Amino acid sequence: MSRSIASPKRGFSLKPYLFLLPMLAFAVGFVYYPFLKTCLQSVSTVNFRGEITGFSGLDNFQYLFSRREFSIALENTVKLMVINVPVTVVVTLALAWLCSNPHPLHSVYETMLSLPMVVSMASISLIFKVLLNPSVGWLNYAFGLNIGWYEDRHTAMSGILLLTVWMGIGFNFLLFLSAFRALPKDMLGSAALDGAGKFRTLLQIQLPLISPTVLYVVCTNMIQAMMTNGPILILTQGGPSRSTTTLIYLMYTSGYASSNYSLAAAVSMAAFGLTLLFSILLFMAEKRKVHYQ
Amino acid sequence: MKIKAREGFLGALAVLLGCLVLFPLFYGVMGAFKSPAEFVAWPPTVFPRSFGYLKNFETVFTQLPMLRYFWNTLVVSVFSTVIKLVIALLAAYAFVFFDFAGKKALFFLLLGTMMLPPDTLTITNYQTVSHLGLLDTYLGIGIVSFVGASQMFMLRQHFLSSPKPIREAAQMDGCGDLRFIAFILTPMSLPLLLTLFLQAFVIQWNAYLWPLLVTNTNEMRTVQIGITMLTTVEGTNYETVLAGAAVALIPAVLLFLFLRKSITRTMSGGAIVG
Repeated sequence: MSRSIASPKRGFSLKPYLFLLPMLAFAVGFVYYPFLKTCLQSVSTVNFRGEITGFSGLDNFQYLFSRREFSIALENTVKLMVINVPVTVVVTLALAWLCSNPHPLHSVYETMLSLPMVVSMASISLIFKVLLNPSVGWLNYAFGLNIGWYEDRHTAMSGILLLTVWMGIGFNFLLFLSAFRALPKDMLGSAALDGAGKFRTLLQIQLPLISPTVLYVVCTNMIQAMMTNGPILILTQGGPSRSTTTLIYLMYTSGYASSNYSLAAAVSMAAFGLTLLFSILLFMAEKRKVHYQ
Repeated sequence: MKIKAREGFLGALAVLLGCLVLFPLFYGVMGAFKSPAEFVAWPPTVFPRSFGYLKNFETVFTQLPMLRYFWNTLVVSVFSTVIKLVIALLAAYAFVFFDFAGKKALFFLLLGTMMLPPDTLTITNYQTVSHLGLLDTYLGIGIVSFVGASQMFMLRQHFLSSPKPIREAAQMDGCGDLRFIAFILTPMSLPLLLTLFLQAFVIQWNAYLWPLLVTNTNEMRTVQIGITMLTTVEGTNYETVLAGAAVALIPAVLLFLFLRKSITRTMSGGAIVG
């Protein structure tokens, strides 16, 4: 590492390792060790106490992939990701763009639009549960809808999506807002002088310049969508008739509720592999398009 | 004149959209003041008949030991955030002020923890914590969040920008590493540390899945789990559930409203790291 302000001293010293020790210990103990153990358990037979009793090759995966439960969970998870990510990006990008100009009210609407980031998943899930309730909730009544939301297998996922998009607003809005604000003012000014309209400036100048932030938001939201489990646990328990079972929810039910650890490990490896695959694809696709300043 | 009118319109539009986004929260808080009869009455309303009906809040605290849950969550959030920051600060100190073999590899090993989503590790971490006998303990709830790679990274960036002679001068005066960290580096980084503390605190306060897994007894639950238990105690009392959701929101939302600038300050910086 070239960037360091260490004093050039010769000789071996144990000191820096001691300072690193606590963080290394916890990183190994609670991140790398469980990861390796998950890898290992996914190719082993594991008893109910979580002890590995033998090597089973790809049996767990074969069993997993042959189960209808898994293909449903996979489909639901991908569906969630494919809808949630673009919607979140477009909504928060539009909000941030709208708010990026200086305005006397800016701290008011910035506070309002970024507040969702401190709202707990449990609280907002419960509020949505009531708001979208077909008999006592206000939403159906106000818009004259007749939708069962979380109680109907055709609409439960839409209800979950509504909620996950809402939960993503605050943080992503803030990221896009600071990306817009960091753009050099004179560049936008000269674009305006050249007669470029607001939308042309956005599409041809601002968006390419903030593309690293866009890529970051797409990546983090993709992983988050892939990991969706909290609202499912609270609102639908994967139902009705498995319509909202996601991969991590499946991992939770097979690992924690039924102590089938090898199956849970296989599900979690599948979720991890998918995340990795999508990230790699995304980076390959964006490699030439993203503009790093 | 024309520009001013448009600016005014955009500002109003932004505030309107803000109201739209916050509507579910508003609806939840309003609903917490409704009586059961108001809730089942047709047509559904947003506003309660009056704000004098406080029984739902009372129920939240009597149906479950909610005060105890608040205390549990506060203890876990404070101590695990403090430990997380101390650990991150020590590591950042090593990376900035020392040269040693394997520095680069160790640095990326620690940053690499951000690549593994914690949710995929919960089942195996549960086994570890269970073997350590830490189920139903504060330590068991907090221990998986002690590694703060992004906090370490941001502290490192901050230290790198500090003037080099400070530590040399301190060493010359016979000031050891720990004293340097405690009396010079920490006070120097206080605004950043406060920001990092608030962010991590709010995340820990809102945590759900992990605390749910590692707590089995009724007294050890956290607030977030407590409020979801209100639905199962005696059927679904929508008004009680909303009162619980509203109460659980108070600490994080208050912190945010008063300290928004410091909570959000390092966000964009952290985003670049990933």
